[in-house]
Amino acid sequence: MIRRIFSSDSRYLVVVLAPIILLLALFIYYPAVNTFQTSLTNRNLRIRNQKPKVVGVNNYVKLLEDAEFWEVTGRSFRVVALTLPLEMVVAFGIAMLLNQRFPGRGVMRTLTILPWMLPGVANGFLWGWLLNGEYGALNGFLYQLGIISEYQYWLRDPEHQIFWVCVVQTWTRYAFPTIIVLAGLQSIPEDLFDAARVDGANAIHRVRYITLPLLLPSFGIALVVEFIAAFQIFDVVWTLTAGGSAGGAMNPFTKTLMLYNYELVFRDLRVGLGAALSYIILAMSLAVGLIFVWRVYNQGVQEQ
Amino acid sequence: MNLGLRNQERLRLGVIYALCAIVLIWALAPIYWVAVSSISTRRELYAQPYKIWFPSEPTLESYRTIFTEGAKFRDGGFSPTADLMSSGLRNSVIISVASGAIVTLLATAAGYAFARMSFVGKNLIFLLIMLMLPLPIWVSLIALFFIMSQLELIDTLLGLVLIFVTLLLPLAVWMMTTFVRDIPLEIQDAARVDGAGRWRLVYSIILPLARPGMVAVFLVAMLTTWNNFLIPLIFTRSDDSQPLTIVLTLFIGQYEVAWEDMSAAAVVTMLPPFLMALFFQRYLVRGLTMGAVK
Repeated sequence: MIRRIFSSDSRYLVVVLAPIILLLALFIYYPAVNTFQTSLTNRNLRIRNQKPKVVGVNNYVKLLEDAEFWEVTGRSFRVVALTLPLEMVVAFGIAMLLNQRFPGRGVMRTLTILPWMLPGVANGFLWGWLLNGEYGALNGFLYQLGIISEYQYWLRDPEHQIFWVCVVQTWTRYAFPTIIVLAGLQSIPEDLFDAARVDGANAIHRVRYITLPLLLPSFGIALVVEFIAAFQIFDVVWTLTAGGSAGGAMNPFTKTLMLYNYELVFRDLRVGLGAALSYIILAMSLAVGLIFVWRVYNQGVQEQ
Repeated sequence: MNLGLRNQERLRLGVIYALCAIVLIWALAPIYWVAVSSISTRRELYAQPYKIWFPSEPTLESYRTIFTEGAKFRDGGFSPTADLMSSGLRNSVIISVASGAIVTLLATAAGYAFARMSFVGKNLIFLLIMLMLPLPIWVSLIALFFIMSQLELIDTLLGLVLIFVTLLLPLAVWMMTTFVRDIPLEIQDAARVDGAGRWRLVYSIILPLARPGMVAVFLVAMLTTWNNFLIPLIFTRSDDSQPLTIVLTLFIGQYEVAWEDMSAAAVVTMLPPFLMALFFQRYLVRGLTMGAVK
């Protein structure tokens, strides 16, 4: 009896877990190791019949000494630095609104979250069309309101391109922090506010001294997740400002780390160098993610 | 006093609805505009400087065009793309449904194992699966491209489904593990006493009870697969396997641009996720925020 159950159990486990382990090993872990090995070679598919040589950490050094790498990295951090505050402000505002009691709140919530569920490439296209200099809806709208007297080419200036990339990224992603912050808001006990009201705290004070400190953990989670999303931004840029989707040159002014890496590996075929860059991106994501968590955690401890 | 209170409430609601209107414009205006663009005639769509916010003669001409003629001016010049849209739609549906179904079945069976069975190496295997959750998979993709080439899985639907299933597994397994864990033990024990094997137990007891979790996993998997762009960008080359997200970018012309046709292509790409978000949002939000909240 016991033996029968045992053998039936192990058969179940093998049948169920074997494909999962196999998939993970073959598609994630082995390639991850393999990419790392490649990053230590000078593999370049442009060179015919190349026998890749091990060059140690040369690729990493080369990248760290390369001006373009720093330019692209700086740009990625600028995207993060602009997107995260934008997202948090939008999310906090909308979450505060959705936390009120009013008829139609459920529908409102459903509609507010919609953009997050749409494909990023479609969002980039949507906004590209909205911001179009000749026929764009934003131009028409502002013109009709009398705010601008002639149509603007919103996406022409490289500085503006980055700004709009951040706006579109915010539009794509704000729903997630909104949900997290809303959940945080709903867990704050009502009587805390009542007590503060009795003590004579006005609305701004209540937000400043009760709501925001108690929301710190929620913001912490949202910031980490959104940091990864913004730092590794790809889809939105591709259709909004990258340009040249079929092998043409990529717009250098909105080339962020992921686009740069894609270009290195799959356009320039400098696989060794690209592999090294992918590990640098991974390391930066992890490091900044950890710093975020650590700081938010510490702050949360101090506030209490 | 009573009247004052009522007025105050009315004022409160007035302010709230005004703010709601602003939020809705922010959230929905871009979607509205692309939908309007797709049913506008070119003459009205290109009206300037006054825009026409709703077409006077709505038309489905653009949709007909993209499915029968394709993009007139494909990136890089003119090339026939008549079938790209329908093949893209077909590929998107196949990979989303297949990945969703496979990952749901695998994750349910595995979720049961992690929640209810004890075996050697359980924690290690669970950790190896979950480690993928916070780690970006980008480092794997570079070498995976060459592995897929050797397996001759580049530009195949099978290859895409295998990759998506793998990428979706951690979240799915985690969701199903928590779900199965929440199913009362008594029901399962009763079945055990009756002598039901693991398979029968999972099939007849767990499956019905875990259905809400399975629906959530399936929908999240489908949505994620449908919306993904990077994976097919790397692993597809032709209409054999290119999904709609790729086709959409191919329709975006470099020299000449037909915005009404491109808008129609964008609407087709966005419609399934849009509808899923409208009707199944509870499931999707639960699944998509799970990693962060739990």
